[in-house]
Amino acid sequence: MMASLDQPVALSTRGLVAGYERDLPIVRGVDFAVRTGELVVVLGPNGAGKSTFVKAIAGLVPIHSGAASLGANDITTVPAHQKIRHGLAFVPQTENIFATLSINDNLLLAANILPKEKRSRRVGDLYAMFPDLAARPSLRAGQLSGGQRQMLAVARALIVEPSVLILDEPSAGLSPKIVAEVFAKLKAINATGVTIILVEQNVKAALAIADRAVILVEGVVRHEGPAATLADDPVVAELYLGVRQKAPAA
Amino acid sequence: MNPQALMDGLITGAMIGLGAIGVTLTYSILRFANFAHGEFLSWGAYFALAVASALGAMSSALLAPIGPFSFGWALPIAAVVAVVLTGGLALLVDALLFGRLRDRKSTVIIMVMASFGAALTLRSLLEFIATSKPAYYTQALQIALPLGGGLRATPDQLLSLAVSAVLVVAVHQLLTRTAIGRSMRAVSENPQLAGVVGIEVRHVIRVVWLLGAALACVAGISAGLLVQIRPQMGLDLLLPLFAAAILGGIGSVPGAMLAGLIVGLAEAFAVQLIGAEWRAAIAFAILVLVLLLRPQGLFGRPE
Repeated sequence: MMASLDQPVALSTRGLVAGYERDLPIVRGVDFAVRTGELVVVLGPNGAGKSTFVKAIAGLVPIHSGAASLGANDITTVPAHQKIRHGLAFVPQTENIFATLSINDNLLLAANILPKEKRSRRVGDLYAMFPDLAARPSLRAGQLSGGQRQMLAVARALIVEPSVLILDEPSAGLSPKIVAEVFAKLKAINATGVTIILVEQNVKAALAIADRAVILVEGVVRHEGPAATLADDPVVAELYLGVRQKAPAA
Repeated sequence: MNPQALMDGLITGAMIGLGAIGVTLTYSILRFANFAHGEFLSWGAYFALAVASALGAMSSALLAPIGPFSFGWALPIAAVVAVVLTGGLALLVDALLFGRLRDRKSTVIIMVMASFGAALTLRSLLEFIATSKPAYYTQALQIALPLGGGLRATPDQLLSLAVSAVLVVAVHQLLTRTAIGRSMRAVSENPQLAGVVGIEVRHVIRVVWLLGAALACVAGISAGLLVQIRPQMGLDLLLPLFAAAILGGIGSVPGAMLAGLIVGLAEAFAVQLIGAEWRAAIAFAILVLVLLLRPQGLFGRPE
């Protein structure tokens, strides 16, 4: 779903400074906004602060100054466990499922914050969306393949019907075929109206599904624009995204 | 060899198992070995003694033995109150000590040392209040009933076994079938991810303290009923509790109970085979052997 400029802002940050140590901020004043229904990819070289940026929004890394808002609500100081209640779901890059729990328990756990009468219906909805998971609900999640684990992590995040879904490198460690499946699923989820912020190293695949891209370099936003434009910009691609352009034929 | 060692071992093992469940839960969720856990057994036993004595003073009818047992209604009522009080004591220790250290992101060794300090403080305070003189819930003598196969047990001992069995099943069901149980298992595996999915980790930690202390209290009352009540009783059971928690596999409730029974039986048979003076060494030997041969325990998963 391509979001138009008249859509309200779903999530924004203003001058966000964040990092594990107050004296060593990794994110150094990021102004960022994503509109409702957009799929925005956050790109940048290694060490640019992409993961720290989204972890700070999710409440997992301390924010030292600046602000983060979800719609009209300031979520800067909201603890991580309450952000999901505000409609912000986060899928970490690694260890994003409970490996010792069954698939069903992973989903029920996430459904806990919903009203009781809604929980099993939502679990059923997610099984319909991810039939691979529905086939073996009592299987221990640690026994799933990499792609299935990502699907479970996404399903777990979606169970509360979040307004914004943030994913930190969902393609990490997956084969190209599985990456294509995961990204196709993300595009389909975005088409239902869920705003998605995607941190990615897999530039080509991410730009192919994104509406817009933001490039972080050394903790600040260096470039942003429509994904298609950035993908075609050889200077941006070579300087910031590590995508080497083909040399012209002699 | 006297077959009665089997019954003695099962009875002691059930007490150890109950206490070990608390150790294994706090270890798996708070990620440190709480050496103050044994003190919750002692305090629980004394809370029950104080409340039962007060109830008995108010109404002597509450002291009249119930059926075949040696105690009156004062003790079961006192046990319920003691469970609540012991849970409150555990929450107080957490609020005053462990919670503050967690907020400062203290290392595991600091938490362990703090638990040693808490154990000493709690034990000394209890000794100051109650003196080191042994106390008893009841002075009534019970005749052991023949159970067949050369085994005998008193009604109190059989009740203690039954209560332990019911509690193990109840805690296992709580962990595997309820929302709070799933939350506890999630926090045990990955506290940060648990926060991301909306679990309030502090709430889960409070529940773990309450549950662990409640089970320790029941184990303490059971030990007090079957043996005697002393301020040192928790300290004496500490090594067997840790041996059982580690043998069972950290985080496993059925494992802790099964391992508690194994430790209890090993102690009882050791008394018969090599002498009572070796009883205390058995738990230590089991602990060392498990750490060397199967550090993940019977039901734990390798790191």
